[in-house]
Amino acid sequence: MMRRWIFPILAGAVLGAGAYQATLLATPYALMQAAMMKVGKQGPANQFAFAPMTTAENQTIVRPSPDLSYSVCAFDVSKGPVLVDVQPVPGYYWSVSVFDARTDVAAVRSDRDTKGASARLALMKQGQTAPAGYDPVRVGYDRGLVLIRILVAPASTFPTIDAIRRKSTCKQL
Amino acid sequence: MKTWHRFAACIALGLVGGAAYAVHQVRGGLSDGMVEIGPWQTGKSFGTVDASALTRAKVALGGLLALPSREAMYFTAQKDSDGRALDGRCTYVVRGGKLDGRWWSVTLYEGEGWLVKNAAKRWSVPASAVPVDEAGGWSFTVAPSAQSGKWLPTGSVPKFDLTLRLYHPSATTIQSPETAQLPTIERKECV
Repeated sequence: MMRRWIFPILAGAVLGAGAYQATLLATPYALMQAAMMKVGKQGPANQFAFAPMTTAENQTIVRPSPDLSYSVCAFDVSKGPVLVDVQPVPGYYWSVSVFDARTDVAAVRSDRDTKGASARLALMKQGQTAPAGYDPVRVGYDRGLVLIRILVAPASTFPTIDAIRRKSTCKQL
Repeated sequence: MKTWHRFAACIALGLVGGAAYAVHQVRGGLSDGMVEIGPWQTGKSFGTVDASALTRAKVALGGLLALPSREAMYFTAQKDSDGRALDGRCTYVVRGGKLDGRWWSVTLYEGEGWLVKNAAKRWSVPASAVPVDEAGGWSFTVAPSAQSGKWLPTGSVPKFDLTLRLYHPSATTIQSPETAQLPTIERKECV
């Protein structure tokens, strides 16, 4: 009687292990896709959306920091490199980070790295080249997100910081 | 029962069970590569290609777009210093000293990482907001109702967590996060 169940149970165990691994592997892609769709609603691809300061009423991405201003660009390098120019905010912590479709960080630059100068990144896939003056950043997937974080403390400094950050650009070459 | 019935039942159970176990793991508990420092937990491979599939999935769910440790470290507490789950109906004192990084903040979340609605419209305590004594010590209160001094509202939610962000942490903290001197979380009264 039990012998009839050995192979079905083995098949179930093998496929169960596969389903476990597939679920783990798919989760980051699915959540990143959802994030890119939310960002896509704020503006077109390859263009920064400058979000207001995060509150409990307007949060869209999980675990946001209410002390940071976020500017986000959903990039797509399928038709050519995407150039990111970050306007520095003197005296404040800021960083620009590039996340691929699997949520891995392809690059991070902060005011510490640039010594206060602007950050200039060229997001590219294999076979594309960066223009002069840009740091080449290879991305493993066509799409992903660029995120600028700027420390806003105290909150009263936000209008000044907001005016500066809006000079940052994300555009297809 | 026919042979194909047995296969169909076992395969269906395997697929559902495997996926359900993955969801269960992603949503709860410690992940591989996590480090505990008092009530705080952190990981060494957030946002990097070195992260395991489980860590990557957990971070995507509870902290999408997290930075790698060279840039920022995230320490999360779901319990107080005595090991009791953080409860929004209780009052806590968070007490610490100089943290080994450029800048820090503590933010209160519920669920998978959402800011809690509260009348004071306050969700975090940044380093610049707490008075520091001569020895470098500081403290603030986490409570459901207004407190004297620096106060972080819980919104009376039954369960919450605190995330300590440490930007540009020192090389020692990145290499050995278990040696970091992090704040204590002391529970006071509950309502």
